[in-house]
Amino acid sequence: MNDEVILSDISSPLLARGNWREYQPDKQDLLPIGAPAVDERLQGGIVRNGLHEFFGAERGDAIAAAAFALLLALRLPELESRIFWISGDKERQTSGRLYPPGLAEMGADPAKMLLLQAADLRDALRAAADTIRSKAAGAVILEVQGNAKLIDLTSTRRLALAAAETGVLALLVRGDAVPMPSAASTRWQVCSAPSSPLPGNTPGLATFDIDLLRHRGGIAPFAARVTWDHATRTFHDAPLSGGLPTAATRGETNPDTRIQA
Amino acid sequence: MRLAACDTAALGLGLTPGTALADARARVPDLAVFDHDPKADIELLGWLADGCERYTPACVLDPPQGLLLDITGCTHLFGEDEVELVKDLKARLRRNGFTCRLALGAAPDSARAKAKYAKAFISDLPVEALDGNYKVHQALRRAGLKSIGDLAVRPRTPLAARFGKTAVVKLARLLEEEDPRITPRRSLPAIHITQNFAEPISRTNDVLATIEALARVAAMQLRERGQGGRRFEVSLFRSDGHVARLCVDTGGPTRDASLLMRLIRERIDALADPLDPGFGYDLIRLAVPLAETLKNVQVGLEEKVDTYAEAAALIDRLSVRLGPDRVRHFHAGNSHIPERAAYEYAAQAGASPGEWPKSESGGPALRPFRLFETPQRVEVIASVPDGPPRQFRWRRQLHYVVSHEGPERISAEWWRRKAGYDPSQSGPTRDYYRVEDSEGRRFWLFRLGLYEELESPCWYLHGLFA
Repeated sequence: MNDEVILSDISSPLLARGNWREYQPDKQDLLPIGAPAVDERLQGGIVRNGLHEFFGAERGDAIAAAAFALLLALRLPELESRIFWISGDKERQTSGRLYPPGLAEMGADPAKMLLLQAADLRDALRAAADTIRSKAAGAVILEVQGNAKLIDLTSTRRLALAAAETGVLALLVRGDAVPMPSAASTRWQVCSAPSSPLPGNTPGLATFDIDLLRHRGGIAPFAARVTWDHATRTFHDAPLSGGLPTAATRGETNPDTRIQA
Repeated sequence: MRLAACDTAALGLGLTPGTALADARARVPDLAVFDHDPKADIELLGWLADGCERYTPACVLDPPQGLLLDITGCTHLFGEDEVELVKDLKARLRRNGFTCRLALGAAPDSARAKAKYAKAFISDLPVEALDGNYKVHQALRRAGLKSIGDLAVRPRTPLAARFGKTAVVKLARLLEEEDPRITPRRSLPAIHITQNFAEPISRTNDVLATIEALARVAAMQLRERGQGGRRFEVSLFRSDGHVARLCVDTGGPTRDASLLMRLIRERIDALADPLDPGFGYDLIRLAVPLAETLKNVQVGLEEKVDTYAEAAALIDRLSVRLGPDRVRHFHAGNSHIPERAAYEYAAQAGASPGEWPKSESGGPALRPFRLFETPQRVEVIASVPDGPPRQFRWRRQLHYVVSHEGPERISAEWWRRKAGYDPSQSGPTRDYYRVEDSEGRRFWLFRLGLYEELESPCWYLHGLFA
């Protein structure tokens, strides 16, 4: 075997891939939510390399907004992607700490999550911008409790630009806050919805009422109810009226039928 | 009350340490007297030692008034031989208003004794330099042995027989036959590189450029050793003797100078009180106190982003800025008590170990999304005393329970208690309920204690579900 053959052997996989150096992901990479009705309204899903805002409908719904943001991050296809959760001392005080056994049951891998607890919002915003810019994370979730002057058009635009540059999914959770102008691609209002009870009248799968308040692409606002299935890490459409669960009548032997209920 | 110390003017008037205060006042009526503060003396000595680290990293306090510097191999920075170093040190001390007596020796004990008794030669030292007790010194003097020079020419065996082995060891050390290494007050770094300036520099950019140059040299030395630094320390020596230190820790061994510079810039930005160059820095040192083995890694041919390395670099940067305790990983705790089942530790300490239990397919989550550090007290109305909650009040809001699951009974860790084997001492049992209220919010409540255990068990809210 002479040298030329070896050289061609080495270079062939690269050549076969063509312009591998120039390859860049599609600018409008969409992340489907999984629930067909919602994805249809969104024309495919939410922008992956963008900033999205989640507001709690009421004071007690900050938890639902935070959970929905995390579940969206879990929709990312890469199993290896890390999730950076950035919050402040205040958020930990009001809504408690993230609980890894619960996160694992929601379908997340706590070993792949990283917590940043900033002392104040200025530090948190700066850390969020750095994290989004670094490509280390698949998704970055910034949690802010209450109305904050620092979160304005400028600061959200900074986050959105960084996300567009690196392709990181940036999620901003605003519990107990009034929506203000921002540079986010979408703005959602999230609140907990009654779940379809399981046999024996026990609470069922996590269910959310989501309202699209604003879409940068001009999609009209709409409301939907979705449930989260942690086994397949996807959202399902839930009937808006809490009808009788079919699983209760059909029997609970097959977990899939229970989820579809 | 007695005088603890006198300045040169007082010594000139004939006062000596140990004089009774009343006597001293009688002799010098307008004597200025201050309270003796040994702690402040030691602090001042420590401050001086910090400043003296510009000459050598091996520096040790010799209370009450001395400093010992090991300048072996450090003299080339200041001139051809140690004389230049001594001159420099003397000038600096004098500028700060200190009087000093400097002596050089081949062993710490001889240098110390020479300085203490102001003698140029070891043989001229008095026998008191042996640091024995008063009786030893008196006995030697009565035998006509007044100086170390007299002792040096005598055979050692009778000396050991008469005064013990310590006297002989001490003599050997004074005569520089034995060289006990001093233990520096700060452990010696694996690598340290120093940059001297003829004129002090004060612009931040100049300082950073110098640190960068030093970092590149350090990186080269680390590469030669096959090591990477885990901790880097920059010491900025101000011309007036003050020393500022910047310490940077990394999550893994590294010898990337540009990464180190980013961390140091972060460190400077995060300082509570900014660097004050004063009249400028005239010496900058970069030390690597902690180094670990770091093998060369083959860089991939394709320009794939190494997310692991990116994450490590990001964690380092954020840890420097926010503080290492604010950047955390989850760690599994080996306990069935919910609040002890998971902990958070600084991410720089290493990756989180262990596997987390995978969710069972199908059913809803049985553990909450968020957990309160301290369970929150709630008022609960239950249909039957031992039964599930019907409604509860939390944060002044009433919640009606629509559906519930439970109880999940979690008993206390009786083996942690002193008399836990006794059922009445094992701690209250918790009955956990997963409930959903009429608005669709899901909570994790528990009742602390069974009715057979406690008079009136209380209810708590421990977590919130998604």
